Amino acid sequence: MIENLKALPQNLRDSVVRYTLHPTSDRERSQATFHNLFLHLQSVRVHRNTLRVAYSFGLGLITTASFVLLTLTGILLMVYYKPSTELAYGSVKDIHFVVPAGRFIRNIHRWAAHLMVVAVFLHMARVFYTGSYKKPREFNWLVGLALLVLTLGLSFTGYLLPWDQLAYWAITIGANIANSPREVTDALHITKFLDVGGFQKQLLLGANYVGQEALIRFYVLHVAALPILMAMLMGVHFWRVRKDGGLSRDETAPRDPNDVFSPTKTYGLMAVVRGRTPAVGRGPEGTVQSWPHLLWAEMAVFMFTVAVTLALSYFFDAPLKEMADPAIPENPAKAPWYFLGLQELVSYSAFMGGVGIPTIALIGLGLIPYLDRDPRGVGKWFGGPEGKRIFWLSTVFGLISVVALLALTVNCGWLRNWIPSIPQPVITLINPGTVIVLLYAAWSLWILRRTASLRLSAVALFTCFLAGFVVLTSMGSIFRGPNWQFYWWPSQWPVH
Amino acid sequence: MFDAGRRDFLGLAAIGSALAALGTALAGVLRLPKPAVLPGPMRVYKLGDPAQFAVGSVVKMDAEQLYLFRDERGFHAISSVCTHLGCIVAHSEREGFACPCHGSKFDTQGKVTGGPAPTGLAWLEVSLSPDGQLQVNGETEVSRGTRFQVG
Amino acid sequence: MSDPSRAYKWILLISSLVTLGFLLAAAARENVTAEWRHVQKDYQRILLAKAGDATSRRVAGQFPVEIRQVTVPALNTVDRCVSCHLGIDDPRMKDQPEPHRAHPKELLKIHRTEKFGCTVCHQGQGAALTFHEAKAEDYFWDYPLLPASLTEASCNSCHDPRALPRGAAAKLVRGMELFDEKGCWACHKLDGKGGQLGPALDNVGLKTKHQFIRANLKGSQTVWHWLSQHFRDPMGIVPGSRMPAPALTPVENEALTVYMLSLRKRSLPEEYLAPDKIEQKYARLHPPAPNGEALYKQYCASCHDTGLYTRWDKNFQRFVPAIRNPSFVRTEDDECLLANVEEGRPGTFMPAWGPKAGGLSKPEMEALVAYLRGAVKPAELAAAPAGGSVERGRTLFGRNCAGCHGAQGQGLIAPALANPVFQKAATDAFIAETIRSGRENTPMPAFARAGFGQAEIADLIAHIRKGFTK
Repeated sequence: MIENLKALPQNLRDSVVRYTLHPTSDRERSQATFHNLFLHLQSVRVHRNTLRVAYSFGLGLITTASFVLLTLTGILLMVYYKPSTELAYGSVKDIHFVVPAGRFIRNIHRWAAHLMVVAVFLHMARVFYTGSYKKPREFNWLVGLALLVLTLGLSFTGYLLPWDQLAYWAITIGANIANSPREVTDALHITKFLDVGGFQKQLLLGANYVGQEALIRFYVLHVAALPILMAMLMGVHFWRVRKDGGLSRDETAPRDPNDVFSPTKTYGLMAVVRGRTPAVGRGPEGTVQSWPHLLWAEMAVFMFTVAVTLALSYFFDAPLKEMADPAIPENPAKAPWYFLGLQELVSYSAFMGGVGIPTIALIGLGLIPYLDRDPRGVGKWFGGPEGKRIFWLSTVFGLISVVALLALTVNCGWLRNWIPSIPQPVITLINPGTVIVLLYAAWSLWILRRTASLRLSAVALFTCFLAGFVVLTSMGSIFRGPNWQFYWWPSQWPVH
Repeated sequence: MFDAGRRDFLGLAAIGSALAALGTALAGVLRLPKPAVLPGPMRVYKLGDPAQFAVGSVVKMDAEQLYLFRDERGFHAISSVCTHLGCIVAHSEREGFACPCHGSKFDTQGKVTGGPAPTGLAWLEVSLSPDGQLQVNGETEVSRGTRFQVG
Repeated sequence: MSDPSRAYKWILLISSLVTLGFLLAAAARENVTAEWRHVQKDYQRILLAKAGDATSRRVAGQFPVEIRQVTVPALNTVDRCVSCHLGIDDPRMKDQPEPHRAHPKELLKIHRTEKFGCTVCHQGQGAALTFHEAKAEDYFWDYPLLPASLTEASCNSCHDPRALPRGAAAKLVRGMELFDEKGCWACHKLDGKGGQLGPALDNVGLKTKHQFIRANLKGSQTVWHWLSQHFRDPMGIVPGSRMPAPALTPVENEALTVYMLSLRKRSLPEEYLAPDKIEQKYARLHPPAPNGEALYKQYCASCHDTGLYTRWDKNFQRFVPAIRNPSFVRTEDDECLLANVEEGRPGTFMPAWGPKAGGLSKPEMEALVAYLRGAVKPAELAAAPAGGSVERGRTLFGRNCAGCHGAQGQGLIAPALANPVFQKAATDAFIAETIRSGRENTPMPAFARAGFGQAEIADLIAHIRKGFTK
């Protein structure tokens, strides 16, 4: 009894730690990784390429770290936040003014959300340009797309919660974008039978206006439904990264004949993980132990994310405008910045900009790995020098065409300014949004004809869309003022 | 940890500073749930002109959760919150205070005479506010028998 | 072999130190250098310096440094102003500078802080803990702190300002008088009474700056600055406005601004309403006998002035009829005058003043008519000649009348004769008499002197009655 009590600390520790915390040999290091719930998501050895900053820029990890930060700060904010139209604004003001560390934590939540959106976009671009969506990683690309949509959804639902003017009018616009299929059904005179827009809007708001019903729906989506879905999909995403062979790398390079990866020898049991299995007793060339090298990388990226978020949060407060007032619209009423590209398109046609083009873009992105089956070029940025050239050309083309189109509309208007009686369906079909999509598609087809390479034409299309997204987003964020007029800078906005 | 060999000062410093940062963050996070200022009205109650309370009167103040007494020797206030588990005690001139929840009994001075209450009812500090109103501080206890004389 | 993790270790080290630094800085910003902490420590020093005896020295020594707030559930407010304004109810602090100073005028004795809080009178952002954020003039908050010179505006929420002790809300009372004197009612509605040319003013005091056109507003972007600038130059602040500048001295300007700010339609719990306020509401339901002259000043004078002459109105580019002109009231009976007041002139700048439009009650309109009439009794008018020709009338009208009354009687600088209310209220005899004798002190000449006989007048009446195309 006494002896057992004496041994209690040691036994307690042993019962918690399944293996050692101080591995000294490679075997022990492998075991330490394998015997830990969190670490066993990783393989025990990783390729050196995985650790190369310039290959992945740690973007997936930054996204994950932001999500962790968001979850933690989000739970803390829930302690004080009251999801009611009468109390929400006051409770956020209280968090801002008197809750200990409240202002800082709310700032972190805000900035981590921005960071996560940026990182998830860049992560997708990285995966695309290194060809990492190719077999066997097609499905994980789809999971990634779903995670992108969820990230935007989480950001969007969080936007309403402070119940200030910014929130109220951004969500009013968002909800009316959901309503915009009416533009088409009205034109076809079938709204009475098939009211997709009205259905979507009511599903989102629970009413015809943004009110208490909408607030509680957005709250439930923001703090429960979407985060749970997100966490589950993230689990799938990580698991597939691991099972699909880790981070992609160039596997076409000539191999050392003495490599421990023998092409003939496989162990059935270990074949559950894709990739060739190593010969017994030798460390494979080009790989290092996950413990500690991958751990260092992960900790560094995590802490880097935290440091950046905290620095931003220290200097820039999250915005909180006047309390929501349905009688006074914000002018300009702007959605969150990552939707401002869409809002720019929405200013031409609500349906095309808000529903049509995003759907086309998502379907296009989802199809990429199933259309481009060429296994070459995986693990190399742009798949090689030819891809890089196409990337730059497409960047220039994408930028010039969208800027020119916007300059045209800003200076000369669009169809309705020229032919005032033009019917709405024509504008829905022919507007700067669809024109730019067609221009990009044409460019990409031209590249396909010139190079006969689906991969290169995909690079062209993706790059064009990225350029268009950047330009349209800056247009909506910076260059649009009251009444959605063009201004060179917000300081030129008239007081209204 | 993590192969921190004898000469890996860099690794040790990195891990150490990371732990320090996370520890500080944790401290900040733990501060958040404890409110810096409690919601609800102030616990210092201004009860108005002392002259409005007649000598010999007992007033039950519901919102303030106290009984205010005025006798020849001055004012005193006794909390109406039972020291057992926080129910509101009833008062009768002769028998003192009785708690309806678990049967605690207190005499007219608030001393325990029966039931599970661990201590007597609190006597609260009575004073005159700078602007001349009678003021009871719900946060400050005084010793039993303390009276406050106006003037 | 070099350590492949070396770069990451550096990143981890630097990031951790940066994180730690910002965490500590944020903690210090909140827990050490916060503005209210300095203020409370200063206050404690003042308390110690003023402490006369041992007890007050002990109290001062134990003065807790903490956030203080006044919660008023009935008004839905949480005011933390008292975290810095610690001496407001302490008479010893009369001589101290802000924020430690005692509240002036001993107002807190009748407006206990626990019942009223601070922002119900002073406005501003009560939740904030720094002066800049509490003042909220360039912060995201709808109701910034009212300057001390305008705080009186809040009295109107619970009091009838005129019933307050003399001088208690002098500016507010002066503002109310000015609103009557300047005839603002002619164009603006309050409580359902007043003209319709300008916006109703019931809730001006609750409007936020975003509800005003501020494109031409220089300087401070507050509602009160907008109001006072707007009184100075209405058309300069709101392009296209037809409001004349109500000639005001700077003192009067401020008084009227205070009154405007006091117009707040918000439901306060009844316990907050002073008895005089309830009386004021009661008086509105049971008005005393109306005073025609006062009503004329409030509702008519700003366009018709004395009403004795025809006035050229610059803003409306119109002659405003001389409605108290003896030669006019002599020709119209009371019924006719009342109809004109009650129904106005639809389509012109003259609004209807009946209960459903301008909000005047029947007795009020009757008092007004009595005032218009003055001592002049309606004359027995000669019956109008009948049997005129519309055709001949049209020619005559085109030559003699259309220049002022408009070819279709739509009214140019002179009244609109095609107007349905005119057609209904004006008798043929009245028209005949007006054509015959003209209107003294107005541009309307006496056409009898120009040789118009019964026949011409009959033709004209026929045309005026039937000849205008709708």
